Amino acid sequence: MKKTKKIVVISLLISLGLVLHLVESFFPLSAVVPGAKLGLANIVSLIAISLLGFGAAFQVVIFRVVLGSLLAGTFMTINFYLSFSGGILSFLLMYLAYYFLKDYFSLIGISIIGAVAHNTAQITAAYFIIANRGIFYYLPFLVLLALPTGLGVGLVSFFTLKHLPYSITGGNFNDKKSK
Amino acid sequence: MKITDILTLYDKILIVFVIILSLVLLLIPFYFFGGSAEGEELILRVQQGDELIKTVAVADSYQEPIIFKVQGPIGVHTIEVNQGRVRVKEAPADDPLKICEKTGWIDREGPIIVCVPNSLSLWLESTNSDIDGMSW
Repeated sequence: MKKTKKIVVISLLISLGLVLHLVESFFPLSAVVPGAKLGLANIVSLIAISLLGFGAAFQVVIFRVVLGSLLAGTFMTINFYLSFSGGILSFLLMYLAYYFLKDYFSLIGISIIGAVAHNTAQITAAYFIIANRGIFYYLPFLVLLALPTGLGVGLVSFFTLKHLPYSITGGNFNDKKSK
Repeated sequence: MKITDILTLYDKILIVFVIILSLVLLLIPFYFFGGSAEGEELILRVQQGDELIKTVAVADSYQEPIIFKVQGPIGVHTIEVNQGRVRVKEAPADDPLKICEKTGWIDREGPIIVCVPNSLSLWLESTNSDIDGMSW
């Protein structure tokens, strides 16, 4: 991928991530399990991991979290640290899973790994702040909820990548099973 | 294209593993708390940071609701104890997610109401329980 094209793709993914972050807040999943969310922004992370390398995908995640918190007015507050820890850990695990276990897991499996990692990181970060072990009560509920949301996110990423033109994917995404 | 065409064998193993893991984690609290025993008295504990700031006997709330306020770094929480149940009636306006308010009522041991930005946590504890809420 050319440098200019790469910059354009990165910025597109960041803005998509910001919009998805906003859309996500319309679904009050926190009423079901406190702290739960759809994780739509993970679609963008997954696409970035598949299309771009580590550095560019990492940029997408960092900028999404930082800009998202700036827009929501939560930059450098506790909410920012929570989404930062969740975002970074889930990104790292998804990256590792994608590059080392790509032959075993589809994007759905990788997205579930990311969702579970995100929940675990956030609960752990929250535990360090409120210093109450009772918060782990919600972890199994969140992990269970991460399955359907992770599945949905994985499917969306899969079909988005499948329909992206070759000029953007540059053949980086090869769909082994459908061939 | 069906979903089964996309899912690999390892995906399915991962899904089953996650389900089993979360079910096991789900059952651990039940093992400790069991059902609610006859004549048990619930106590509400309010903790901020690692400091216990308030203890309320829930039984007192049957006559009339107990409403009190807790001050935190980002604002004031209004907490309501009513008919043996507890909720955060109003979260501070500066709390962007208001998760504590969305949690709603809790009426037994196990669930916990948290407000992470204010490092506030509220939970119910049974007086005749052998273990305290912190030990699991």
